Amino acid sequence: MVVTNDHELPTYEELTVEEVPISSPGLRAAAHHIGKYCLDVNDEFMMCKQETKDPRKCLNEGKAVTSCALEFFRKLKGNCFDEFQIYSNCIDKSSSRMDFEPCRKTQAVYDKCVFEKMGIERPEHGFFCKARVYTGNRPKPPVKEPQVFGDLPVGLKDFKEEERPPAKYGQRNWFIK
Amino acid sequence: MATAERVKQDMPPKGGYRKINFARVFPKPFASSRAMVGTYLVCTGVGWYLYLLNDRLVDRYQVESRSSLIAITPLLDAEADREYLKQLRKNRETEEKLMKNVKGWKTGTLYGEPVYKTVDKKELIEPGLNEYYVHAPDKVLYDRVYWHKYL
Repeated sequence: MVVTNDHELPTYEELTVEEVPISSPGLRAAAHHIGKYCLDVNDEFMMCKQETKDPRKCLNEGKAVTSCALEFFRKLKGNCFDEFQIYSNCIDKSSSRMDFEPCRKTQAVYDKCVFEKMGIERPEHGFFCKARVYTGNRPKPPVKEPQVFGDLPVGLKDFKEEERPPAKYGQRNWFIK
Repeated sequence: MATAERVKQDMPPKGGYRKINFARVFPKPFASSRAMVGTYLVCTGVGWYLYLLNDRLVDRYQVESRSSLIAITPLLDAEADREYLKQLRKNRETEEKLMKNVKGWKTGTLYGEPVYKTVDKKELIEPGLNEYYVHAPDKVLYDRVYWHKYL
């Protein structure tokens, strides 16, 4: 494999945290509220992933995401266990693709419970599909410098764009100008 | 010629034969062509409109579905990343254990010759699937590659 001993990989202890033991219908049922509840933490993690493109550097952000989701589910279990159970069961069994559409009635009950007891409102339709402005204080990653080669061939001048002389015979595609 | 007088000549009926009908017979039209074309246009237009309404509805469902997926992507990614790094470490340890008796073998290289020569030594380049599943049974790799079999 390409991973050598020079690579710093986190140990098993660092990588082992309590995971969220919820199956797909449950995650799907709670998805909108989780997204709203953990918005900042999730944004931080996704930003880190996108900027570093390295799973090793976003471990702490990832752990924060998981613990936030766990916290949400614990609260949910304490407050709206039955409503959530019925709703996720409906999503699981009403269609082959876990559509939300056949479960509006149970969803309304679930939404009401979550709003009243936990104070989380269901985000508007398509909220997570819209672009959002990142408001965290993560420093911008350094821009990679372009490569500079010292061994330019003899007699070849490294022109800059503005000091390049005009072409001797003009341009074939005269209309581009 | 006596016999010839008794023969009865077959003649046309009085008033002649009836006329042979050779003219083309058109079927009775169901409706006038204008009415037919008009009906077609109206039906198509209404059909298009209903299609548009349904299309918008389907789009709405899809946006909601995608929205839920986007909302839990960080959670799934965080877990998957941790699992991935664990597996990388496991692979490296397995390779070290397997090749410890081979002289001159360095883990992650071919007898000390690195796979990527121009990149930084500490930069992690993700291994391909075949490398990632090297120490696993074949079935694990095939299940991952042909996951759609189980749909």
